[in-house]
Amino acid sequence: MNEHRPSLSRIRLLIQGMAFSLILINPFLNYYLHINFVQGWYQSLGIGKLWFVSPLEGLESILVSKVIYLPLVIGMLSPVILAFLLGRVFCSWVCPINFLSSILDRLAAVLARTGRKDRWLLSRHVLWFALLLEVILAMVMGAPLFVFLSPPGLVGRELMLLVFFHTVAVEGIIILIVLTLNLITRRFYCRYLCPLGGLLALLGAKRRLQVQQDETACTKCRQCDRACPLGLEPSKGEGASIYCWNCGDCVDACKFNALNFKWQ
Amino acid sequence: MRISRRGFLSAGLAVTGCFLLAPQKAIAASLFRSPVATNMLRPPGAVKEDIFVGKCIRCGRCVEVCPYRSIQPLSLKYGVYAGTPMVFPAEIPCYLCMKCVEVCPTGTLLPIAKEATRMGLAVIDRMRCVTWKGESLCHTCYNVCPYKEQAIRLDEFRPVIDEKACTGCGICVHGCPVSTEEGKKAVNIEPIYSGVRS
Repeated sequence: MNEHRPSLSRIRLLIQGMAFSLILINPFLNYYLHINFVQGWYQSLGIGKLWFVSPLEGLESILVSKVIYLPLVIGMLSPVILAFLLGRVFCSWVCPINFLSSILDRLAAVLARTGRKDRWLLSRHVLWFALLLEVILAMVMGAPLFVFLSPPGLVGRELMLLVFFHTVAVEGIIILIVLTLNLITRRFYCRYLCPLGGLLALLGAKRRLQVQQDETACTKCRQCDRACPLGLEPSKGEGASIYCWNCGDCVDACKFNALNFKWQ
Repeated sequence: MRISRRGFLSAGLAVTGCFLLAPQKAIAASLFRSPVATNMLRPPGAVKEDIFVGKCIRCGRCVEVCPYRSIQPLSLKYGVYAGTPMVFPAEIPCYLCMKCVEVCPTGTLLPIAKEATRMGLAVIDRMRCVTWKGESLCHTCYNVCPYKEQAIRLDEFRPVIDEKACTGCGICVHGCPVSTEEGKKAVNIEPIYSGVRS
């Protein structure tokens, strides 16, 4: 079986933890030691002279101001290429909201022994409406909402405010709401409402890295369907669908080696 | 429980409707009105205020690199301007180190020379200034100005601003010992270049 295979969820938790500790520790380094080598969080992260800008924030900035600023485009390039090749891996492997949700999932698994049920289910297309609504609203209002209300960005901003100004912003309540929604449906926000997730999914529609199902090895035990945090059904080949974020939980859950990441 | 698409969409429409209709005009206007005002300034190199709100992605990198903690992100009280950077020179002025303009990823703060910075213009309130009133010979603003003799000079011992050289950094505001009841100083920075009508 798959005992020789390393547990992807452990590696993922480690990477998520490192990504989270970067935005947790960095404000301290900047505030107390004035290092300033790394600035920002997962809206725009600057490492030395290397810039990364979140594609949705960058896109809205360009659309609303109608000015193309080359350093911004260059900063967006590497996240876009990443999404293009690997899909929504930012969401599943880096995003601090998903990290906190994963931690809560593990806590819940310890506390409640019964399996989790997803109570509210919407059409998956809601994700595209969320993306469209956000972009249209930003252009109508002339001021993007996601840039100051985005849960992944808010985690970084709250941590910075805490260290720099010893206070928190009220909009941080959104983080708590998003995390609480996990109790009703796992990753409710990520599944249906995150405009950034929608954009990354769209970019990764024809991604190279996919979860491929080996039909001959599959016993239809549906352990993978239970494991998927997004409520997809890898047993029906949905690991290759546009909605999959390549977290690898289904690959871990499969005892028959029927699911594997494939580069194509 | 499975929510029907129609149910979800109508709930969403209802929420959006409440959001759009409920606030009174005044509140709605304040949520969209630029907070830039006297002694509330954008960091150096900022674009005009009308596109600032759309261009800035609130990534906070300018806040993090500012070594004097002059730049503060605005709170949700300022509506859609929440998270945008602001300098309050009466608390901590800008010392023109120009670190923030180098890290801005969106071009909301554009690279600019120190002396070309125009965050605003210092205006001396001659009714409040103790030197102009003839009560003392204070010239703190002149002493602290980084462009002494260019931006502020002394005319018969009284400070005078030259708008050709004043960067609007607000160091004079910070230094001014006079505080008025409205929370202003005897010298204040007016954001006349920001495109905001005050």
